[in-house]
Amino acid sequence: MSLTVKKLTKSFSTSGGTVTALNSVDFHVDTGEFASIIGKSGSGKSTLLSLLGALDIPTSGEILVDNEDITKLSSSKQTAYRSKKIGLVFQHYNLIPNLSALDNVILALEFGGVPSRERKDRAVELLEEVGIDADQQKRKPSRLSGGQQQRVSIARALANHPAVILADEPTGNLDTETGKKIFDLLHNLSRSENTTIIAVTHDLDIAGKTDRTFRLQDGKLIKHK
Amino acid sequence: MNVVTRGTKNALRSPIRSGAIVIMLSISVALILVMLSARSSVTAQIDQVKTTTATTIDISPAGIQGGMGGGDPLTADQVTTITNTEHVTGVVSTLTDQMGTDDTDLTPSTELGSFGERQQRFEGSGMPSFPMPEGEAGDGATAIRTPPAARTTVTGTSDPNSVATDGGELTLKSGATIDGNSDELIALVGTSLATKNNLSVGSTFTAYGQTITVKGVYETGNNFADNGVVMPLATVQNLTDQAGKVISATVSVDSSENVEATATALESMLGDKADVTSASERAAESLTSLESIESLTLVGVVGAAGTGAVIVLMAMIMIVRERRREIGVIKALGGNNFKVITQFIVESVTLTFIGAVLGMAIGIFASGPLTSALVSTSSSSTTSTTNQMPGGGNPGGMRAMGAGGPRGIAQEAQSNLDQITATLSPAVFAGAIGITFLIAIIGSAIPAWLIARVRPAEVLRSE
Repeated sequence: MSLTVKKLTKSFSTSGGTVTALNSVDFHVDTGEFASIIGKSGSGKSTLLSLLGALDIPTSGEILVDNEDITKLSSSKQTAYRSKKIGLVFQHYNLIPNLSALDNVILALEFGGVPSRERKDRAVELLEEVGIDADQQKRKPSRLSGGQQQRVSIARALANHPAVILADEPTGNLDTETGKKIFDLLHNLSRSENTTIIAVTHDLDIAGKTDRTFRLQDGKLIKHK
Repeated sequence: MNVVTRGTKNALRSPIRSGAIVIMLSISVALILVMLSARSSVTAQIDQVKTTTATTIDISPAGIQGGMGGGDPLTADQVTTITNTEHVTGVVSTLTDQMGTDDTDLTPSTELGSFGERQQRFEGSGMPSFPMPEGEAGDGATAIRTPPAARTTVTGTSDPNSVATDGGELTLKSGATIDGNSDELIALVGTSLATKNNLSVGSTFTAYGQTITVKGVYETGNNFADNGVVMPLATVQNLTDQAGKVISATVSVDSSENVEATATALESMLGDKADVTSASERAAESLTSLESIESLTLVGVVGAAGTGAVIVLMAMIMIVRERRREIGVIKALGGNNFKVITQFIVESVTLTFIGAVLGMAIGIFASGPLTSALVSTSSSSTTSTTNQMPGGGNPGGMRAMGAGGPRGIAQEAQSNLDQITATLSPAVFAGAIGITFLIAIIGSAIPAWLIARVRPAEVLRSE
């Protein structure tokens, strides 16, 4: 699934006036590509990711996913787009605290419309794929390490075979070694599943290993590599 | 794990907080059940009073009230007119007399006292002579009247229960009741009179030169009434040579709507020969305390339900605010508003359900004592109110002798209150369950609105 962004602008009204987080951003990512976005804090990276994930509405511009502008979709269709075509990975994992690792993945499968009898097997398969064993699958997030939680988060993001995975600082909360493992995991997925991955990161080493890197500066996107 | 399971599980996510919410809710639900139970009992009692007390009319001959005064009794023709009046379904007639030592061998159980002496005093000083009533001591002969002495009241009635002072059935300590429509020489004797004269069931005494057989001994708890004799109406009419005469008639009307019209018709037919008193006013007085309890219970139900709704509302608002991030994540993963709101409503309903079960268990045990306490409080205020009323009316409080005065109303009101007990009917439970779920829905409405406003982008922005 290709992703094209045209003249994307997002402004916020604040008490101090209007702040433009993204200013006429254009870029294109091909199917199966692993792209990274780097930039200073407050440069608009997370805002861009939330617009790509249909979590927010742009002030102007287009986001074409397989030639369909997702910014024009109705609220219910945007919800369906998020559940079936997008996988989200967060810096702080954002697992539901009172659900086990297994139930967290099952939750995403439920939203993706997977029949209930198939959910558990699929969730177990995904968790094993990211290296979470049977014992760890039953644990709640508070009883898993940061790396394990991020693996669960990735398994959850992959639950509905998304065309695009949007990862916001996926290694930002992990030590270097664990961060490298998570990056490798995402990289392998992009290769094996032909999944488009767009990751926001501060880590230039990681960014250097992706297929393409963009830099966001003052709301404008500059091609870095 | 579906949305219902998640909601149920979330309700128990924080045991201490959930426990506190459940305890507060259970108290609220228990109060709702108690108030509904009390209200149900009071409403039933009001309906009963309206269909009994409120459908009667008291008729007494002009000038006669409670066995006192002067004038002529109602005649048989007048009683027939009353009985045949439209909407009249029954008439309880009574004729009373005071038996002195010349009339009976019974010794009264009460002393004459200064009040009794004053009632029987004669004009003038010393011991004057008075002409005896015609037929008693020869034609126009002058004789010395007997000095004042305590007397025994005899009541002839077509319904012996009319002698009861509490509005219910006459309580018999021994023997059986008598047929008020017979003309046999039989009687029920008040307990203190029976004790004074060593009377029991089967004993006989003399009245108006005839031998009367005791069929039962009754007790009203009223000294005046328990010093009396009750006989069939026709028996007293025959013994006192007053065939067909009555001094009070209590008329039953087919419905409360027809009471005023029937009273007007009776007044028109009887003219100035009788006083016709509608029961509507008496019923209103009697119903005041019941209606005040009914209002109190309604306030209680609304207050407890409101408190419950506020508890659920505040708890859910707190929970939603606390889990804003989680809601955002669920939405970001593709969960729609309906699913998220349903999950929180299930959580709210689960908490309410647990609170309701616990509250109903508490309510079942507490409804009896709390209803009694509620009635007792109201009873005190009723007594206080009626004690402030000016005196008057019948001296003994017997209904048959005109219990239309304040004492009679107070006794009826007290009797109505005494008959109230907690009623936990299926309708009461259904009402409590209905209100409980209303609490859950109201308590979830604002949190649901808050949930719908959470935007998933906020989650990423706070990363």
